[in-house]
Amino acid sequence: MAPDQLIREARAAGRGALDELSGKRLLARFGIAVPRSTLVQPHEPLARKLAGLRPPFVLKVASPDILHKSDVGGVRTRLGSVEDVETAMRVMLARPEIGRARLDGFLVEEMAPAGQELVIGAVRDPQFGPLVMVGLGGILVEVLRDVAFRICPIERVDALEMLEELKGRALLDGVRGQAAVSREAIVDALLKFAGPAGLLMTLAADIAEADINPLIVSAGGAVAADARFILTPETKS
Amino acid sequence: MSNRAQVLETFRPLFEPRTIAVVGASATAMSAANVFIRRMREFGYSGAMYPIHPSAAAVDGLPAYRSLAATPEPIDYAYISVAAGHVPQMLARAGGRVRFAQVISSGFGEVDEGKALQDELVAGARAGGCRVLGPNCLGMYSPRGRVTFVENGSSDLGAVGIISQSGGLGTDIVRRGQVRGLRFSGAVTVGNSADLGPNDLLEFYLADPHTKVIGVYLEAVKDGRRLFDLLKANRAQKPVVLLKGGRTRQGQLAAASHTGSLAGDDRVWVALSRQSGCLLVETLDQFLDTLLAFQALTPRADRPTREIVMFGNGGGTSVLATDLFSRLGLEVTPFGAPTLQALAALKLPPGSSITNPIDTPVGTLQQDEGRIAEKILDAIYATAEPEALVMHLNMAAFVGRTKGDVLGNLMQAALRVQSRYPGRAHFLLVLRSDGESEVEARKREFRAGALALGIPVYDEMMNVGWALAALCAHERFACRART
Repeated sequence: MAPDQLIREARAAGRGALDELSGKRLLARFGIAVPRSTLVQPHEPLARKLAGLRPPFVLKVASPDILHKSDVGGVRTRLGSVEDVETAMRVMLARPEIGRARLDGFLVEEMAPAGQELVIGAVRDPQFGPLVMVGLGGILVEVLRDVAFRICPIERVDALEMLEELKGRALLDGVRGQAAVSREAIVDALLKFAGPAGLLMTLAADIAEADINPLIVSAGGAVAADARFILTPETKS
Repeated sequence: MSNRAQVLETFRPLFEPRTIAVVGASATAMSAANVFIRRMREFGYSGAMYPIHPSAAAVDGLPAYRSLAATPEPIDYAYISVAAGHVPQMLARAGGRVRFAQVISSGFGEVDEGKALQDELVAGARAGGCRVLGPNCLGMYSPRGRVTFVENGSSDLGAVGIISQSGGLGTDIVRRGQVRGLRFSGAVTVGNSADLGPNDLLEFYLADPHTKVIGVYLEAVKDGRRLFDLLKANRAQKPVVLLKGGRTRQGQLAAASHTGSLAGDDRVWVALSRQSGCLLVETLDQFLDTLLAFQALTPRADRPTREIVMFGNGGGTSVLATDLFSRLGLEVTPFGAPTLQALAALKLPPGSSITNPIDTPVGTLQQDEGRIAEKILDAIYATAEPEALVMHLNMAAFVGRTKGDVLGNLMQAALRVQSRYPGRAHFLLVLRSDGESEVEARKREFRAGALALGIPVYDEMMNVGWALAALCAHERFACRART
């Protein structure tokens, strides 16, 4: 699959953003770990569909009309069984914001191992091209504003310095009895995202903004638990 | 020819023009262009100057010509200060005989109604075969070519290369910088940068062997990518100090993501600085103070500046400076036992403090008419390894209050020690004045003396702190870049 095929498909469908599943496929294409997942439809029998996945599950609404899934109650975590998933899906469908949206379906994922929640993101600066960001706090990133930016492409030393720039960097080393998380896994994800042959440099013309939020980092690795890619308005000629 | 040699060759006619055309000088009145001719004469420009005038036979005693194409020789540098509307056509008819045209005139891209005219200007210059600086700028200052737009610019060829997107600030940089001891390899105001811009001049200064440190005042950048690439490729070999205007404006980026909403206009400049090692400063004072440090001192990538020894009169001043230095990431740590013992052996009078910072009241410094400083500094160098030594003198406590030339002796003593331990520590002097004219006069004299010996002089501890922090950041990056 060509790296930009997912983007061409989204553009062909008239979408200005990649849906979560496509976003994660794009990340996986560049070697960034994403949870195993499957897209299911409302009222579809789930037992066989979820047979290959290991609980606990995460259930997320998938809709081009819903940008902020948590805000409309469109995310549930720690679902222990297929029945829990079915119940959670019914509850979501009963919510007006979800009930009236165009639905691609629901994404069922394996829940990532617990860890620190980080954000890796991107914006396209009109003068400097793609910028990469790393920050602490997952969904709280806009409150904490503890972030570091660099101009792409970054080198390994830049990735390490980005983490050193974070005020809350001590969280990565483990505080209050928590285990230290793998800085190496964060650096690796940053380089796959924003390094010389990374996603952002390869697709610089297409990506206006991106969030990997949260990137859940444990001692064993880093998993992109959510991904959003906003495409540039102009299509490539 | 290497790219570097090619860049130097391309810009040589700008920095050392043999022939200059002046457009906009009046035969009867005093316009900006007439002032330019007068300043060029005062500055000792020895090449040919050709005024361009539609009708006059002579301007300011020089034979005038009807057009840029009608001068006896091709033009290296044209100074153009006429109504904006005339400029595009004039350049289009230059017939490949003008290398660089600096367009002083305003009324181009800086105003909405002038944007189309600016495009015409660029097209005209292309048709006429010349490169344009400006429009909407003030000129350039190049001691090596005896070209100047500032009054009373020093004729010394220095090591500080300046690029300024603001003409007025360009004047401030040269004039204020000069008083603090800066000497320039050039200062170019680039205005709207319709054709040549900050990146082109940066490339020149990076290649220029006379330029040791580069200072850039930027407002808007046209090709950030090229700036990033140029600075990255430099790998902090030549320090670049960047004063960026407009950093607090929020970015124009639409924010559909968390990242977008967190990406203010400022983030990219901080990123640029962290990745390329260029030094981002916030005020004109910091800019000049930092340039002075790099003009005078040789950065050491193998031993980045960290430990600072402070020595002078003024207890409160040392305490406040210690706090400031600490906030800037510098360390003023108390001496170890060997240094303390060596200093104690000097038996300084009560009231002196010999831990770091060393606080010696005027009474102490008067000993031996100021030569006590030599013993103190000797004791430090013999027993400690600071990366930098800051000597600060509150001059008002000396001038008119001490007998003999205590201040002069203190300075001489410090310089003698410095020459005995070459390269051991960066040595910086702070001459603090209360603003009284007698004190100011002595300060000027001392400043000149110290600068002549290559010692940077600062007004206050804050200024020296900024300079040292920048030096430290540069050295650390240079150290990082080597690995």
